[in-house]
Amino acid sequence: MPDYIKLSELVENIQEAIQNRFEGEVFWVSARAMNVKKYEINRRCYLTLEEYENGNKTVEIKSVFWSNYYGEIEKFEKQIKQPFSNGTEIICKVKVRFHKVYGLNIDVMQIDVAHTLGVLELERQRTLERLLKENPTTIQLFDGFYQTHNNRLALPLIIENIALITAPNSDGQRDFQQEIKRNKHQYNFEITEFLTTIQGDNAHVLILEQLKLIEKSKINFDAVAIVRGGGSLTDFKPFDDYELAKYVANFHIPIFTGIGHDRNQSIVDLMAREQKTPTKVASLFVDHNFEFENNLIELKTNFFDIIREKLLYARDNLNNANRIIKMASPQKILNRGFAIIIYKDKIITDPKDIKEASELQTLLKNETIHSIVTKKSRNEKRIDI
Amino acid sequence: MKNELTYSAAYSKLQVLVEELEDGEIPLDKLSEKVKLANELILICETKLRKIETEIKELSEIRKQTKKK
Repeated sequence: MPDYIKLSELVENIQEAIQNRFEGEVFWVSARAMNVKKYEINRRCYLTLEEYENGNKTVEIKSVFWSNYYGEIEKFEKQIKQPFSNGTEIICKVKVRFHKVYGLNIDVMQIDVAHTLGVLELERQRTLERLLKENPTTIQLFDGFYQTHNNRLALPLIIENIALITAPNSDGQRDFQQEIKRNKHQYNFEITEFLTTIQGDNAHVLILEQLKLIEKSKINFDAVAIVRGGGSLTDFKPFDDYELAKYVANFHIPIFTGIGHDRNQSIVDLMAREQKTPTKVASLFVDHNFEFENNLIELKTNFFDIIREKLLYARDNLNNANRIIKMASPQKILNRGFAIIIYKDKIITDPKDIKEASELQTLLKNETIHSIVTKKSRNEKRIDI
Repeated sequence: MKNELTYSAAYSKLQVLVEELEDGEIPLDKLSEKVKLANELILICETKLRKIETEIKELSEIRKQTKKK
């Protein structure tokens, strides 16, 4: 029988060796967080820290955030505005611990948030550069603004048919619908909902699928709204995805985003028309239609003003003509004290035919005077009547 | 026949008559006849204008009502 020792002795030796080497020491390491399991109630997070080379895993070690360090995860999520999840590249402060039952473990004590922010920003910049480079005709950068096929599309005069991409039973869905329904002008909108998960690792794929459904729909949508309520955790990673951003930029119906975040604009926001919140997207649609109605009212007022003027002018002219005609009627002339002289049954305008002894009839208002001319003489001067 | 005249046609005829009257070009013995014609033209114009005015008023009211809905 060979000499043997108990397992515990061996493990104690290992523990001692590790303790001697690592006791009291802390290290800053860069790694990728995987297999993240958060237990919010116990305030613990189990994970593996891993390293990859050319896509192949080269290192993996069990790690844990104990409850006194769990606050680091909350701080990270608050600042990065993304959940601490699988694939997150971090630089973290760790210490090595060996437990006789649980084995070798790395305790994470702190995360360098600034590093992750930097990595994310770099990724974001790379995605934006790629969008510009690979879509030169539909995505351009002018004076710091991204002009895309989509955000340059002219809006229809009236927005009526809206495709709403949102999460079912979400705050964003509720806020948007409420603002639309309670609009003070009582406009009617036709809203077709395309419901999907709008947060999480796969959200960008799901949102893209909804856009494809909108494209296939028989309804001619005037606009697409992508909205989501601003919860405590606003993860906009899906909205920084290259494929989704590219699809949005090239989409043929104007897209409006209200995905509620304040730190930064997501790439999808830059490719579409950004309104920050679901309520703002809804009120933009209402305002857009109000502007149209206002123009229409103005146009109508001007139109009827011109017509009214034209009618007034015609009415004036007609009244004038009427007055002149009335003045000219023979009866009016007689009423005003003038007389009409009739000779041989004809009205006389030129007295040259009338001679002395001619028999004339003088027509007055109520009576006719029959007379014989006794004398004719020329007027000394012209009589102005 | 005269009722088939358009407002513009009736009005231009009326205008000619008025001008003739103002210029004193109408002999007195034609006056009654002309005044009668003018009155007929005025009636045509008046009827047509009133009809247009009413129609326009109705149209602008209709627009206002649909807006209120």
